[in-house]
Amino acid sequence: MIKIIKASKLEKILFIFLIFLAVAAFTSFVLLKNKCLFIDNNDLKKLNFENPEDIAVMNLECGNVIIELYPDTSPKAVERFKILIQKEMYDGSAFYKVIENTFVQAGDIEFGNIEFLDYSKIGSGKSGLGLLKSELSDNFEFTEGSVGFARSAEFDSEDSEFFITLKKIPIYHGEYTPIGKVKYGLDILKKIKTGNKAIYVLRPDYINTFRLLESN
Amino acid sequence: MRFFIIFILSFHISVANADEIYNLLKIPNLEIYKLKNKNNVRYLNAKGNFKIGVDDNITCNKTKKTNLDEKFPTVEKNIKRYNSTFLKKIDLKYIVFCEGLFVSNINTGGIPDNKNRTLILDINFNEKYFERMIHHEIFHMIENSYEDYFNENKFTLFNDTDFEYAECSTCTNRLNLDLYKNTNGFLTEYSKSIPSEDMAEIFSFLMVNKNLIEEKIKKDSILNNKVNFIMLNISKIDVNIL
Repeated sequence: MIKIIKASKLEKILFIFLIFLAVAAFTSFVLLKNKCLFIDNNDLKKLNFENPEDIAVMNLECGNVIIELYPDTSPKAVERFKILIQKEMYDGSAFYKVIENTFVQAGDIEFGNIEFLDYSKIGSGKSGLGLLKSELSDNFEFTEGSVGFARSAEFDSEDSEFFITLKKIPIYHGEYTPIGKVKYGLDILKKIKTGNKAIYVLRPDYINTFRLLESN
Repeated sequence: MRFFIIFILSFHISVANADEIYNLLKIPNLEIYKLKNKNNVRYLNAKGNFKIGVDDNITCNKTKKTNLDEKFPTVEKNIKRYNSTFLKKIDLKYIVFCEGLFVSNINTGGIPDNKNRTLILDINFNEKYFERMIHHEIFHMIENSYEDYFNENKFTLFNDTDFEYAECSTCTNRLNLDLYKNTNGFLTEYSKSIPSEDMAEIFSFLMVNKNLIEEKIKKDSILNNKVNFIMLNISKIDVNIL
């Protein structure tokens, strides 16, 4: 005969506590660890654009970042950017320089690809297409989501590296060549792995694919 | 090997306080003090101490706000005398304020850096020479941009044949910045250090007290030639500066 033993009050509390612990562990290890949770991946089928020829789609771990390019502001820079995209040279490019809530930078074709990262030379790589003259604009403000060509300390040294601002950076006004602005996906960029207080990121996030909308 | 590089890198990069201004100027711990100015100069302030340069040989400390607010009008008044076109020609866009500026443990008033279009100024520099120091350092930016105009060999020929400058500005005790009563070709003791400092001293005096220098050169032919040399070459860059 089975004797039913009633759980004491203490045992009930312990049981509830264990359930709570299990839920907390599941949340932190499964749900919270997924950094892309609750982020809209910007499905291209649901979006319409006025100038589709000037729309670029950067696919990252958390979804698509949609960038509108500004050929009227920086014709040469945008032309170069499109060439690099069309040649698929940005695919696998690491966001090796990321400052939390400030900017993300990628596009070192030579030393910054996730397949062959070279930390001793990263940031100095070339695309093989030559350097560009800076196209500085008095009217372009580097607000949240602005895309600009990175350069060395000197002007006229733009090649393939680009950055995207995650906040308004007034000091960049007139300093960098603008390429365009992020239309959708700023929240995706904010999920990119940062270097904490350091400027370079170890084991960085990277671009899966980068395509012009028309080729998608 | 890869692990070793990552290990070294993690040590190396953990000390840098990276932000958007560091990314632009390669000087950490700066904040914007005043961004919009008629001549497009941008003023930045050290919100924390910083070390830069080869082996961190350049050091400077953060500013006290009250101190900077007090000194800023003097700096601004002097910098306003240069128009945006001229400043662009001499690669000057950013002025960084800090306190206690040292290069290789030698106290200095300012450090010009044409490559980064930056002039670092120590706002605690001796008040007596502070305004002149600003123009002195700006002259170094001018000569860095126009080396052909300010040829040291040509300039040295104005001196008496038996005079010799020191090997370098920091390897001599000719450091006094007071104006000589009897100039004899040199405005200050520091003018005798090296040709570049001699030229910078002349330029700085011309900027802060041109009338006095015009009086001095009436009785000093060597100085007269040197002053004319500086004025002529500055006018090639911009006729309105001197």
